[in-house]
Amino acid sequence: MNPRLKELYQSVILKHSKEPVNYEKREEADQHLDAYNSLCGDRFHLYFDLEEGKIKDLSFHGYGCAISKASTSVLVKFLEGKSLEEAKQMTKEYLESLSEEGESANLPEEFEAFGAARDFPGRMKCATLAWEEMDSFVEGR
Amino acid sequence: MRSATDIRGDFPIFQQHPELVYLDSAATSHKPEVVIKGIANFYRSENSNIHRGLYDLAVQSSAKYEAVRQKVADLIGAASEKEIIYTSGTTDSINLVAHGFLAQRLQAGDEVLITAMEHHANLIPWQMVCKWRGAKLRIIPLNEKGEIDLAAFKAMLNEQVKMLAVVHISNSLGSINPVEEMIAEAHKKDIPVLLDAAQSIAHLPLDVQALDCDFLAFSGHKMFGPTGIGVLYGKAAYLEEMEPVRFGGDMIRLVSYEDTTFAPVPQKFEAGTTNIAGVIGLGYAVDYLATFDRGEIHKRMKELRAYALDKLAEVPDIRIIGQSDHCSGIVSFMLGNVHPHDVATFLGTEQIAIRAGHHCTQPLMDLLEIPATTRASFSIYSKEEEIDRLASELKNIHSFFA
Repeated sequence: MNPRLKELYQSVILKHSKEPVNYEKREEADQHLDAYNSLCGDRFHLYFDLEEGKIKDLSFHGYGCAISKASTSVLVKFLEGKSLEEAKQMTKEYLESLSEEGESANLPEEFEAFGAARDFPGRMKCATLAWEEMDSFVEGR
Repeated sequence: MRSATDIRGDFPIFQQHPELVYLDSAATSHKPEVVIKGIANFYRSENSNIHRGLYDLAVQSSAKYEAVRQKVADLIGAASEKEIIYTSGTTDSINLVAHGFLAQRLQAGDEVLITAMEHHANLIPWQMVCKWRGAKLRIIPLNEKGEIDLAAFKAMLNEQVKMLAVVHISNSLGSINPVEEMIAEAHKKDIPVLLDAAQSIAHLPLDVQALDCDFLAFSGHKMFGPTGIGVLYGKAAYLEEMEPVRFGGDMIRLVSYEDTTFAPVPQKFEAGTTNIAGVIGLGYAVDYLATFDRGEIHKRMKELRAYALDKLAEVPDIRIIGQSDHCSGIVSFMLGNVHPHDVATFLGTEQIAIRAGHHCTQPLMDLLEIPATTRASFSIYSKEEEIDRLASELKNIHSFFA
């Protein structure tokens, strides 16, 4: 098996895809984002409330590959409780860390793990799916 | 039939990539040297536009372009080369029938029948035309093995049904459908039938007159030819009735500012400069395919599927999707709870080319309550050793994710 791929999966992805953070459908939440990739059919719903400009009770539910599920789980872990401004900053950092060569400084280990997805261009979208959806939400606020 | 090892010698891709395990022939077949050379040679020493030039090159390329029609007619047993229309592929062929033929006939309250296992290309064109006309698209159900429920199909045939469109070999399940019987049943009610032969053209004996199908659609690139070229066969009487849907150069008889009369069939369906090199390449692919007995190819595909089922049975948590006893060289499966895209990425790093996804049959996946499958598909150059590699790597992936 390809060592780089094993590394990508082993470090973070298997853990988060098997034990996702706040994996729960919450139809009553006041915000609902639908992250859907029509090319592969992966689809994750993000649920949260906005309280005083902060993201609260963030959870997700849906179906997709291990990478898309793990990247959504990491999003939930990092954005829960964050202000929209902080969320904007963080989604930018995450997406940039994937798009650029070399790792940026001081990024959480969980972000860096997805950097290995750069070696598999067909799977980049899996790592960015929910993050891009969240990014366009916070940009639009 | 020649051995797969021998046949591989015809395909330069295997020399370029000696490690390649290619199990994705249902997506596209590889191209033999004769096709590649034929296309290159056309551009190198025969290139010219067709039907209009009065110089030697143009006369020759026109003749060559038209001669491919007869080759295709012979390949599928058509009564005349005039029943062969060049299109850009199966999708284009089906769209032409949906818009040029069915849309003219269809009225509110009419029905169109397709099966639950159709590729989006044999679903959406009918769905759109039905919406425009206020007609109803009805879906023939499948049994638990992934076969068409013939009793249900027969019960759906009535006076309102104006078209039946059915796939010959399912690209997702591998099932070979009982199209002879379905066509005969539909014809009892005078319902025209379109057969989607994308997967069967290279892998089954096919004779449109014996089958008595009214339309047949297929692509060049799944039968060792180039991409961007395909064929619509139609019975002469239906083609006369069918309206062109694309208008422009080369499809006309007389044009004034007020009105246009069209060229005869098949030219009236081939507006603009067509994919000439594609047609030339298709001609070489037909010649190549004709060196095989497609009955033997069919036997070989069944052998490979049976071998794959045996080997995959050794992999823990494998579930085969599509359990028909009548299958071609396509095996769809799930590996436990591991998502097919994860499986395919791991296989890809081991040079195993395989497809994962909904295979353009999303409604079928919904029906089966799965998001996607991993699919291995074979062709004349496929070897048992490739299936061994697949099975052994799947075992590794299974234990990695367990």
